[in-house]
Amino acid sequence: MSNTTAVPTPGAFQFPEIYNFPPLFTRQPNESTWQEQRRQWCDLILAYYRHNRLYSLTLAEAITEPPFTNRQIHRSLRVDVLRELVDDLVKQGNASWTGAKNAKDSCLVLWRKPEVWASMIYQWANERGLFNTVLTVFELANGDDTVGQEFHNLDSVTLRRALDVLQSQGKAQLFVGTSDEDMGVKLFA
Amino acid sequence: MMKDNLEDFVREHQRDIRNNPAFRVQVQRMCQLIGVDPLSSRKSYMSELLGVGDFYCELGIQIIDICVATRSINGGLMDLDELLRRLIRRRLKGSEPVVEDDIRRAISQLKPLKGGYKIVCFGKRKMVQSVAREMNSDQAKVMTLAQYTCKFTMEDVRVAFGWDEDRIHSCVDDMLRSGIVWMDEYNEAYPEYWVMAFFSQLNSALTMANAE
Repeated sequence: MSNTTAVPTPGAFQFPEIYNFPPLFTRQPNESTWQEQRRQWCDLILAYYRHNRLYSLTLAEAITEPPFTNRQIHRSLRVDVLRELVDDLVKQGNASWTGAKNAKDSCLVLWRKPEVWASMIYQWANERGLFNTVLTVFELANGDDTVGQEFHNLDSVTLRRALDVLQSQGKAQLFVGTSDEDMGVKLFA
Repeated sequence: MMKDNLEDFVREHQRDIRNNPAFRVQVQRMCQLIGVDPLSSRKSYMSELLGVGDFYCELGIQIIDICVATRSINGGLMDLDELLRRLIRRRLKGSEPVVEDDIRRAISQLKPLKGGYKIVCFGKRKMVQSVAREMNSDQAKVMTLAQYTCKFTMEDVRVAFGWDEDRIHSCVDDMLRSGIVWMDEYNEAYPEYWVMAFFSQLNSALTMANAE
C-alpha cells in the first residue's frame, strides 16, 4: 500500500553513495562534471523533500541542514551554488521562487507538480460527488473527509498553486476570503 | 589425442564449467596450454563446446552498461573490484557466479569496440577504462600517488615529484577535464583533488559491508 498520508515516509532517507563524496559540495570547475553534479543534486533535493514531505526552503537556513550540510564529512553547499540548483529546478517545473521579486532567497520545492496535485484533488471530488459544492480550502487540506488522501495536510501555498491550475483549466472557481484558509473553492465537471 | 580428450572432458563437465568459476578458469588455462583459445571466435567449436560464448557476451554487455551509466561521474574509469561487485549485485540470483578473471576475458573481447575498453593499473589498483584515452605518464604518476588516499593536493604532487607549478597545473587541469577527478575546495588554500573511481570503490565496499 503506497503512502497515502501527508506524513514523512517511515524509515530514514537513503542518501545516494555520492553523498559522502566531499567534492559534491564544491561547484565543479569542469563543465561536464558540473552538469552531472547538478543532476545528482536536483535528484537528491526532490527525493529528500518528497521523502520528508517538505514543501519549501529558505536558502540561508537550508544550507545549514541536511541535505545541503553533511555533518559526517563536514561539508556544506554554498548558498550561491544552491541558488543555481534551484534555478535548474525552476526550469524543469519542480520549484518556484517565492518572496521578494528577484531576491531568490526562498522557494517552493515542487517534488510533485501542481498539475498532478490538481488532478488528485479533482478526482477525489469527483469520486465523492462534491462537484458544485463550495468547500473551504481549509476543509480540503485538513478536513476529516480528506484523511488518507495524498493531499491531506498539504502545505497551503502548494495547495493554492494546485487550485490555481484547476481554475485555469476551467474546473474550479476560487472565492477569496479574508485569508488563504478562508478561501473557498467550487469544483465542477 | 590431447584435444579429443579435452573435448570429451569439457562436454562431460559443461555444467560445472558454467557454474564454478574456479573450475572454469582452470579449464581455460588448460585449453590455452594445449594451444586452443576457446574465445577466439564466438562461433568457434571450442567456445560452443564450453558453452561459454553466451556467458561472456552477456557479461560484456553488462559491463558496457555499467560503464556507460557511470561515465559522466567517473570519467570512464572504474576500479575492477567495484565493477565486480556491481556485476554480482546486478546479476539475477541463480545466474552463473563471476570472478575477476571473467571480467578480464570479457573485456579482452570488447577491445575491438570504439569505447576502448581495457584494464589499466596504477600501483596496486586495477582499473577498467571505458573511454578511448591515453593517459600521459604525469597523470599516471599522480594516480599512483593517490591510490590509497583517493585524493591529492598540488602540494602533495610537488613534494612527491618536484615538478614546477606549470607542470602540476597542466596535469591537474587535464585530469579535471577528463572527468576522472573532482575538486574539493573545503580548504581554499589547498584544494584537494579526488579520484572518483578510487573513492567509489572504497565507498561501495563500505556500503556493502554495512549492509551485510
